[in-house]
Amino acid sequence: MTIVKRSMITAVCVALTVVLPMAFHAVPNAGSVILPMHIPVLLCGLICGWPFGLACGLIGPLLSNLFTGMPPMAALPAMLVELAVYGLMAGLLMSCVRTRKVYADLYISLLVAMLAGRIVAGMARALIFAAGSYSMAAWTTSYFVTSLPGIAIQIVLLPSIVFALERARLIPARYPKEIVLDGSPGLDSSE
Amino acid sequence: MSRIPAGMYIPGKSFLHRLDPLAKLIGLIILLAAVIAASSPGGYLLLILFIGVLLALSGLPFKLAIAPLRRTYLFFAVIFLMNALFFADVDPLWTWWIFSLSRTGLIQGANVVLRLAIIIVAGHILISTTSPMEITAAFRRLLKPLQYINIPVDIVALIVSVAIHFIPVLAEEVEMIRKAQTVRGARFDSARLRDRAASLLPLVIPVFVNAFKRADELALAMEARGYRGEGRRVSGPEIAFQARDFGAVLIMAAICAVQILVL
Repeated sequence: MTIVKRSMITAVCVALTVVLPMAFHAVPNAGSVILPMHIPVLLCGLICGWPFGLACGLIGPLLSNLFTGMPPMAALPAMLVELAVYGLMAGLLMSCVRTRKVYADLYISLLVAMLAGRIVAGMARALIFAAGSYSMAAWTTSYFVTSLPGIAIQIVLLPSIVFALERARLIPARYPKEIVLDGSPGLDSSE
Repeated sequence: MSRIPAGMYIPGKSFLHRLDPLAKLIGLIILLAAVIAASSPGGYLLLILFIGVLLALSGLPFKLAIAPLRRTYLFFAVIFLMNALFFADVDPLWTWWIFSLSRTGLIQGANVVLRLAIIIVAGHILISTTSPMEITAAFRRLLKPLQYINIPVDIVALIVSVAIHFIPVLAEEVEMIRKAQTVRGARFDSARLRDRAASLLPLVIPVFVNAFKRADELALAMEARGYRGEGRRVSGPEIAFQARDFGAVLIMAAICAVQILVL
């Protein structure tokens, strides 16, 4: 993928970090339960790589705060850290993990990124943003218990979105199928 | 969704419209610091008065300026009640079951709501008086020092600019897909939380596929016109800060200093 296409995909993912939470406003407390802002950031990291995932994780919450006031100013720094780590780790792992099975690559990258983001955001809260008043119980509740529906949605939805995009030929296949023509050497289907 | 204020620039010739976009952006950042520092009634009064002055200088109708607040009043009510009724205090005013109304909780709720309301109105004034192109240019100028540590400022500014343009477009698209799914039987207004959450899932995949289609078309068009994402872009003459821009930033800094040191 060219740098221009990666930039445009990052731009739409940033726009979706603002638009998706507005679409989910029918569900009470959707921000902390369904985590709509995480989906475009993780997807951007998985598809465009770590620099773009990191940019999406940093720009998305800032623009959302500017346009809709959400996430609130008090929660913004921790959210920035969390989403930046999601985008960064998802991209890094997608470039490092190559099992020759797309599902395995996606799930390993996704789950490790989700865990890393939560650990780093918890540490940032405990050491910087809420130093002295943040407990292990609060971390477990807010990042794993309350957001359990959101975690489940991400695990089910993100690989489905990646496959839907691959099928629509909007992103290149991770492992292109080789076509062998009558004894000639294998050709890359993406060529 | 179709009435969102996002990206709604209202052309005009007011003082705020003519102010350098970079000065407005820096001013907003300083104002955010002042809002975070506010904790006393005097501090909030100063900020509300200042927002009133900004509103007068922007020439925007009052109704339009507070439109985002009218749309989120339910959210403000929930935030206020959550703080007022669940704030742990040794001396509650009223207690029933798991609820405990306390004076500290009421003050905390008012603090959160006031801060949020001031930030939303200030951001709305900036967006209403500055075109998306001006905001992008201001971002590019604000981020310029980062290019010395090899951060591709032009690409970041491009991403921000395209994202700002896409927000209203995608919001409309989400609304359209939501209506299409409602016709197909999705239950967005079901009383059950599970049904509502489940009905949102078929909304997300088409939204992403359509958004990526737009990104693909835009990238193709840009590449066809020779844009490769590298090298310096020509974006009009460099704008220099004028006396009024310095004045505006200094006033914001003074308000922030008064907020932190005096009130």
